[in-house]
Amino acid sequence: MRKWVARLVVLGVALLLAGQGTTAALAQNPAAGKKIVRVGATQAMDSMNPFLAVRIVSTQIHRWMYGFLTVSDSKTLQPSPDLAESWTTSEDGLTWTFKIRQAKWSDGQPVTAEDAAWTFNRIMTDEAAKTANGPAVENFESVTANGQELTIKLKAPQASMLENPIPIVPKHVWESVTDMANYDAEKYPAVTSGPYIAVEHKKDQYVKLVANPNYWRGKPKIDELQVIFYSNPQAAIAGLKNGDIDLIGRLNPPEYEAIQNDPDIVAWNTQGRRAAYLQINHGATTTDNKPIGDGHPALKDPKVRQALHYAIDKQRLVAEVQNGLAQPANGSIVPPMYKDFFWEATGDEKVGYDPARANQILDDAGYKKGADGVRTMPDGDRKLEFRFSIHTDTPIEDKLAEYLTGFFKDIGITLTTKKLESSKFTEETGVTGLFDLAISGWSVNPDPEEVMATHLCSRRPNAAGEGGGTESFYCDETFEKLYQEQLKELDRPKRIDLLKQMQERLYTDAPIIALYYNNDLEAYRKDRIASITPIPEDKGLLYGGSSYWPFYTVTVKDTAVTSPAGGGSNTGLIAGIAGGVVVIALAGFLLSRRRKSVADDRE
Amino acid sequence: MTAPLEAAEPAVQAAGPGDERPVRRGTLQYALSKVGGALFSIAMVIVATFFVFRLLPGDPVRNLAQGRNMTPAQLDLERHRLGLDKPLINQFFDFVGNTLRLDLGTSYEYKRPVLDLIGERIGPTLLLAGTGLVIAVSLGVWQGTRAGWRHGGRFDRFSTGTSLVLWSVPTFWLGLLLMMVFGVGIGPIPGVLPFRGIESVDAPDGFAYLLDVASHMVLPCLTMVAVIYAQYLLVMRSSLLEEVSQDYVTVARAKGLRDDEVRRRHAVPNALLPTVTLVFMRIGFVVGGAVTVETIYTWPGLGQLFYEAIVVPDFTLMQGTFMLITVAVIIMNTLADVVYHLLDPRVRSA
Repeated sequence: MRKWVARLVVLGVALLLAGQGTTAALAQNPAAGKKIVRVGATQAMDSMNPFLAVRIVSTQIHRWMYGFLTVSDSKTLQPSPDLAESWTTSEDGLTWTFKIRQAKWSDGQPVTAEDAAWTFNRIMTDEAAKTANGPAVENFESVTANGQELTIKLKAPQASMLENPIPIVPKHVWESVTDMANYDAEKYPAVTSGPYIAVEHKKDQYVKLVANPNYWRGKPKIDELQVIFYSNPQAAIAGLKNGDIDLIGRLNPPEYEAIQNDPDIVAWNTQGRRAAYLQINHGATTTDNKPIGDGHPALKDPKVRQALHYAIDKQRLVAEVQNGLAQPANGSIVPPMYKDFFWEATGDEKVGYDPARANQILDDAGYKKGADGVRTMPDGDRKLEFRFSIHTDTPIEDKLAEYLTGFFKDIGITLTTKKLESSKFTEETGVTGLFDLAISGWSVNPDPEEVMATHLCSRRPNAAGEGGGTESFYCDETFEKLYQEQLKELDRPKRIDLLKQMQERLYTDAPIIALYYNNDLEAYRKDRIASITPIPEDKGLLYGGSSYWPFYTVTVKDTAVTSPAGGGSNTGLIAGIAGGVVVIALAGFLLSRRRKSVADDRE
Repeated sequence: MTAPLEAAEPAVQAAGPGDERPVRRGTLQYALSKVGGALFSIAMVIVATFFVFRLLPGDPVRNLAQGRNMTPAQLDLERHRLGLDKPLINQFFDFVGNTLRLDLGTSYEYKRPVLDLIGERIGPTLLLAGTGLVIAVSLGVWQGTRAGWRHGGRFDRFSTGTSLVLWSVPTFWLGLLLMMVFGVGIGPIPGVLPFRGIESVDAPDGFAYLLDVASHMVLPCLTMVAVIYAQYLLVMRSSLLEEVSQDYVTVARAKGLRDDEVRRRHAVPNALLPTVTLVFMRIGFVVGGAVTVETIYTWPGLGQLFYEAIVVPDFTLMQGTFMLITVAVIIMNTLADVVYHLLDPRVRSA
């Protein structure tokens, strides 16, 4: 028995030793000499197929690989030429003609309008291909190609036409795909027209992309871009501290604070794309205007919603819930980083923190306080007791719930927290309407049309109580009218004005109450990355910007080029010595035990 | 001195020649009944799996949308594609038929056959969890033996205490702690061990690759072993304690055998029986991997896959992994029963 144990221990030691020796083995790293940037990701990739991929990390990787008709300009965020080098619109706004650039796919074939037309037509005709970007072609009547000229006919005018999110794929590679729903696109090297070419993907381990020498803007300044997956954020942070990765985006405040004071790391803190808001069940209905769900009747009263708004100390939420890493919202759902579209309340319209005024509004509206300090409905004895739906396992939302409970208590309203697992949460707050208040948020694109659309009547669940995609169950005539107008308005300043009016309407009618705009928190190693240009270039985002730009412009330090992955030769030496010591100690121990047993037998 | 023992043996042997065949037949019968029971359990698992996963909250199709706007028509289409529009009873028969043909369906999320996904992941899981189990069992049995033999001694108090503390520590916390100490390093001491995945991104070839994988295994293995070895230690210790006071041990000592010999040749083989059962039961769970450990160290195994499936939630993938794990546990339990029967004559006669 002891021999058996001893053998196993030796095996274990051998393993340990092998581990210690690796660092030295890595000295002959095949990556040495290449300029590599490693990006950490904490979300697994769902698919390499751009027709199917919906996760942020996947669409981000596709942004590095594929060209689009247009992309956001790195300075103004306005649509600017990408594969389409220019475009014209007909008088009626229904026909768009794009001139496709003379560029090459990474396999040397020319990029033509035919590729773009094939991509769009495939989505229009194949239900499976609609998975990722179906809504983006919903308004397309027909798409045709003639040489480098692409013509898109629309069913109705659409000003946001230039925000098309569809990656254009090479027809000569993709036309052989018959079963789109089950095609994983794991063929390498991928054929792309963007700055990078995916060359290897090990599921949940890493994706390797190499610079595309044929990229029409010119080859990126690094040789290789790697996305390295971590299944938990703590490990990713440790990886950054350790130098296993060079950059990581989408941090939350506690993660950001963990790296903030590291001398080797640049902590990136800028205005972000995200708005956090309260969703209020102000009388949820379906598309045929039948009530759905069990929202509290008091919330139908705009005065109650306004009182809630006055009772929230947004400044304090930012300071104490978000650790100061956000900006209090005095506007609606478009964050201030989008300077053009951002709207902010001023003057009398502005709702500041004023619990006295909130109490006054409720008193005037007849919601009287009972003996226990809780208000009741004017026409009955139902108390103003609201549920607040949040997600399970989100410490920040727990904290937010605590603060809101306190704020609302001050105005005679009881708030109880209801924690829901994420799919249940989505269902109750987006479809079945089983909530009073709920936490929500949205990462807004450079064009806010999409986020505005989440408050349209048509986004409510259908008569059967299914589907939709509403963020508020909102259905307001004024809002609808403004939305339709902005769709047709091709004059940018006029359209911006309409979109601002929509935000104003959301602010004053309060089906949602914006709380704060989360900052974009990221980090990168300054001993590896020499420079990286954010988007927008002035105080913009890196990974969080969902753009190719920062990773196209990134450069690495010369000193970082030759050093092997993780740890230098010193660590190898230390590891070797430590391993050696462990082995010798264990060998000695085992030897002494064997002697003893032999001696025992002899006696 | 040995005479009484040898005299006793023929007494058992006396019934031997005539009895041998019936005993074998008994074993076979016993094994068959156990296998039958296992098959029944597996059938129940298949049925239960189907219904349990349909009771889970959340509409799978809506979850697939991931917050994107989908029209009711699109939702219906998705439902049709996944066969969720059929009556429940039809879905059930489809499910049973497909499962028996080893077709576990296509993952909602990855759009690939579940069996392929499992096939990719099972290797890393067996490697990690298998190694972890072997080390944990060896360590536990060795320490348990020593601790039980010198019950109440310094080694006993120290090893039992340490193992219980580690057993009580949350795996996630311990994993992160080890990651910080050995992966990132503390103060001037650099971290030397990798803590992400099964291999380096630019992994070398040949023997160096094996070393690379081995180094990636150290921290996950260490975490796993630290958390689970206590059970083997405690089981071994307590069963050895029972044996120590038995007459045959006294007899062995009285024969004049060295203390070590008494332990090794007489007490330990008898005390090992409960540990064997425990080990077999754990082998079943090896297939499931260690969800927590795999999640901490981004180990590309089944545990991580299962975790991913729950987060989405990806019904077919969950069903597939869940069934695989339960079936493995059932098979191993059955094996444990049979092996136990062979090892311990007392079970045969009972």
